[in-house]
Amino acid sequence: MKIGLPKALLYYYYAPLWKAFFDELNVKYIESSDTTSKTLLLGKEKSIDEACLALKIYLGHIRELKDKCDYILVPRIFSLKKTEQVCTNFNCIYDLVRNTFKDIKILNYNIDVKRHYTEKNAFIKIGKELGFSIIESRNAYKKAKEIEKTYYLQEEKKAKVALKTNKTKILLLGHPYILKDNLIGKSIINYLEKNNISIIYSCQIPRDLIEFNCSKISTKIHFTMNKEEVAAFNYFKDKVDGTIILTAFPCGPDSLANEMIIRKRKKHPTLLLTFEDLTNNTAVITRLESFLDMLKGGIHL
Amino acid sequence: MEASLGIDIGSISTKGVILDNDNNILASTYLWTEGNPIKAVKKVLKDLERQIDKDVKVTSVGTTGSARKLIGTMLGATSIKNEITAHAIGTLSKYPNIKTILEIGGQDSKIILLDNGIVTDYAMNTLCAAGTGSFLSSQAKRLGLNVEDFGKIALTSKNPTNIAARCTVFAESDLVHKIQMGYKRNDIIAGLCYSVASNYLNNVGKGKKIEGPIIFQGGVSKNIGVKKAFEDLLHEDIIVDENGHLMGAIGSAILARKTGIKKEFNFKVKDANFETSGIECKGCPNHCEIIVVKKDDKILDSWGNRCDKGALKVKEQ
Ligand code: SF4
Ligand code: SF4
Repeated sequence: MKIGLPKALLYYYYAPLWKAFFDELNVKYIESSDTTSKTLLLGKEKSIDEACLALKIYLGHIRELKDKCDYILVPRIFSLKKTEQVCTNFNCIYDLVRNTFKDIKILNYNIDVKRHYTEKNAFIKIGKELGFSIIESRNAYKKAKEIEKTYYLQEEKKAKVALKTNKTKILLLGHPYILKDNLIGKSIINYLEKNNISIIYSCQIPRDLIEFNCSKISTKIHFTMNKEEVAAFNYFKDKVDGTIILTAFPCGPDSLANEMIIRKRKKHPTLLLTFEDLTNNTAVITRLESFLDMLKGGIHL
Repeated sequence: MEASLGIDIGSISTKGVILDNDNNILASTYLWTEGNPIKAVKKVLKDLERQIDKDVKVTSVGTTGSARKLIGTMLGATSIKNEITAHAIGTLSKYPNIKTILEIGGQDSKIILLDNGIVTDYAMNTLCAAGTGSFLSSQAKRLGLNVEDFGKIALTSKNPTNIAARCTVFAESDLVHKIQMGYKRNDIIAGLCYSVASNYLNNVGKGKKIEGPIIFQGGVSKNIGVKKAFEDLLHEDIIVDENGHLMGAIGSAILARKTGIKKEFNFKVKDANFETSGIECKGCPNHCEIIVVKKDDKILDSWGNRCDKGALKVKEQ
């Protein structure tokens, strides 16, 4: 038996936890390959027009994966905290995939903290579906949580190292599935690295500092995942030379959160890059190039 | 005499200048790109060559604009720079104290903020056409007028009509409505100029601190109606330079000279045969579209590949 993990959306938050959990139980899994333009094309054919770029890419990954495994992991997340919500795409993704692809078997879990469906229960549930006892699943989950924690600590450390160099430093801010996607963020990362920029990612903010730093910018943000980004802006902005925000179009949560950041940025150089499925690379590079010229302040008359 | 050549090649128009070492314009030209940048640049070169004396030697070449890479490759440019930097440098060469550059072109618009001669912020419009020149020309057509006459007519209005300027579609239907209601034509035209200016400020200029001295550039800057609208909305005087449309080209000529690399430029390149072709790399599912530029059948340069495998593919060709 083999579980398929689509390399998009929640993967970029949960991959360490998922993989550790399955490793612990000795369950095999495969990941889909990095996003290519073909993935997007495949996803687009299955999406409605209003779907955001990230969702289109996700559906493409499912198509590329579906004949290579027995189950595809598609969680449904309704709420991660009592008073907060997540993007509606995460609410509906399970139903969306189930209705779009009638021929696949989905391994699903449901997290809705408001209604007491916790992450732990969710993992016990998928363990059960795969034939493991409550105790086995619970232990595996506990181990996996430890590994997830180490992962985040390593990320924090990477940010610290990136901040220590005397290169120009840029905070790359956005959902990790945008920043790290091969088709979207990767081209930006490559360009920056080629230009000798040290990159810090918004998802590298220490987990325990999110609440506090987010509240410094706004106490009204109730999208759990955007809190990480808003907080990262507050936490890193004085330590870096500039910030580049990457966002997919159309994205409801980002349109609020990014506006908040831009209004509170004061003099901090900030560039907002919006990606849709037709985004042309030259236009993006023009804006990046001018941003770097500006940061370096090196071009004088 | 040594000189530098700067070319600003956009999707709509192509501009070229030749500057001496004190930034005096020795030759300049402006023409439509007509979807064929290579042809446009050849024409630009022909026109520029005609204007200069025999003893002028072009020793550096710079390009900017959306086809900067292609044309830069073709001409062996020493500087290939984005529009923002080129425009800022060009403008600063004449107005060293400038703080804000407003620019509205045919299809796009941008704003550049400067402080002490350094770019501190900028924005380009991405999605909306309501703040650009093409919007004005299409509305002029609707009113049966030449867009060139818009400015003069707008200035005769004492009472600009308020036109919903949020987006092109709304503006258009509102315009039709206002015409039917019997508003005066000059008031409507002035209203249109206002809507372009306020649209620009709400869109591209959103949240930016616009301070004087302000310069207004791009095709639409020739429209005095829009200039006046900006002055009223910003409560500042607005400079419009007769060479405003050349600032990008001027900037790239200066940037090229500043690289310090000297390489004599021969106007003969305009007679060479340039060809571009697109090949699709099938190395992976990305299917990168690689652009290959050839000069007299020899490969000059190529780009568009996301990884090195694509470069190999070009070599094999
Ligand atoms: S948060 Fe935005 S980018 Fe992410 S899934 Fe929702 S709409 Fe798409
Ligand atoms: S250039 Fe590289 S990324 Fe692009 S299609 Fe070829 S192999 Fe794939």
